[in-house]
Amino acid sequence: MKFILYSLKQALANLLRNKMVNALCLGIIAFTLLVPGIFNYISFNLERYINKLSENVEAIFYIKDESDSATIEKLLQHIQASLLVKEVGFTSKDQAQLKFAGEFPELKYILAEFDESPFPASIDVKFLADARNLIQIESFVRDINHSGPVESVQLNLDWARKIALIKKFASFAGFFLSAILMIVSIFIIFNVVKINIFYRRDEINILRLVGASNWYIKTPFLIEGLILGFLGGLLAGGLLLLTIKAFPLYAGFVYHIIKQLIDFKLLPQKIFWQLLATGTAIGLLSSFISLHRFVKVRPD
Amino acid sequence: MIQFFHVSKQYFGIEALSDLNLAIDRGEFIFLTGASGAGKSTLLKLIYKDEEPSKGQILIDSVNSTLIPANKLYKLRRQIGIVFQDFKLLMNRTVHENVAIPLLVRGEKKADIEKKVNSALALVGLTYRKRYLTAHISGGEQQRVAIARAIIGNPKILIADEPTGNLDTNLSIEIIKIFERINASGITTIIATHDLNLINLFPRRIIKLDKGQLVQDRRIEAGQ
Repeated sequence: MKFILYSLKQALANLLRNKMVNALCLGIIAFTLLVPGIFNYISFNLERYINKLSENVEAIFYIKDESDSATIEKLLQHIQASLLVKEVGFTSKDQAQLKFAGEFPELKYILAEFDESPFPASIDVKFLADARNLIQIESFVRDINHSGPVESVQLNLDWARKIALIKKFASFAGFFLSAILMIVSIFIIFNVVKINIFYRRDEINILRLVGASNWYIKTPFLIEGLILGFLGGLLAGGLLLLTIKAFPLYAGFVYHIIKQLIDFKLLPQKIFWQLLATGTAIGLLSSFISLHRFVKVRPD
Repeated sequence: MIQFFHVSKQYFGIEALSDLNLAIDRGEFIFLTGASGAGKSTLLKLIYKDEEPSKGQILIDSVNSTLIPANKLYKLRRQIGIVFQDFKLLMNRTVHENVAIPLLVRGEKKADIEKKVNSALALVGLTYRKRYLTAHISGGEQQRVAIARAIIGNPKILIADEPTGNLDTNLSIEIIKIFERINASGITTIIATHDLNLINLFPRRIIKLDKGQLVQDRRIEAGQ
């Protein structure tokens, strides 16, 4: 406990000693975390939007006229057994005719031309809402469509596919930019810790020679990197929230187009914690690399 | 206490120490002498393992120091008090803070540190400067702060590299007397110096190096 307090005190002293350098470093870390934060936020919202739309995903399988009831019953059971399915309904040929007559009474006279219902029997399937299921749903529908009693299928997932593509692009661009900017962050903290090591090199040398353990020497620098990364993440979270709140005020008509897709009311906790965790991890990693490189622990 | 077996040390192909064999007993007081570049500082650095020998083995208190891993090195250093030629003090800290460093790194209690710092400063006659900034005291006083810091951890070995190099004769004598008092408590004391007048004033075992080789190892008695 005493050691942790000592390390924390030393780390804070280091941070306060080089206020300008550390403030600059903090700003750069916050910016480098803000950019992936924005992409993450867009991706999060698109996924949420796809999920919302997915709640209404329905497929209608039209059954061949010659299919017997046992085959249809078997198919119904097969569909019901799927984990993707929320609800299954069966509409017979006669029910379909009745439904048509109920919905379009003015066209009832057409039906009189037929001896039996001209409509095929159908199986209506509602799927569970989850954007990740879209590909599975498509595959499932394709399998059922190719089974014996199914004549054709009605399903439209084009909209979901397009949004999923945008989301994929946002995720990819976010990941790519994040990777570059995180390397920049690591490099910056690495150099800030290097400057502090250089500034305290005499003290480090003395500590080493009077019997301080390696951890006793290194821990304050690790804590310093950790604090810088954590504060950078916190600042990035604040800036992201500010961006979200300010965007509708300044975006004008663009806002009206994309407000369906993106919810500008809140910053998801998941993204906020991700920023904090990433910042802290970057801080720790870069100070660790810097210490490994610049603090001499082995004799010459 | 300290044994060197065929120890050599090279820097970029230049031999600083050559096939050195040496044994120093517990509680001895030794003057390590020789001209500049003779290998005195290298020998001392090998003892506190700031340098590794290029060849040979070094035993410190029966432990082969060449086999101590980097992460356990602090255990060896806690047995050795070192007074550096350039003092290596933190000038922006007080005398008390400088002397307390070896105990702080060991995690000792504040009350114990206070007591031990007072004793160490009393031994070197510097109690009255306890709260002074180290930058604000004289060179002779800084030397004594360095000695107090070296002995506060109750080391088995005390090493001093040219401790009187920057001091006048009277101050030098005073400093060596302090080392004598420390040695009297059983601490093996090794002082590197090229000041022959000083050696003559305090007749002890003398180890002389020349171009990295041991050229003399003898005890001189008073009046010799």
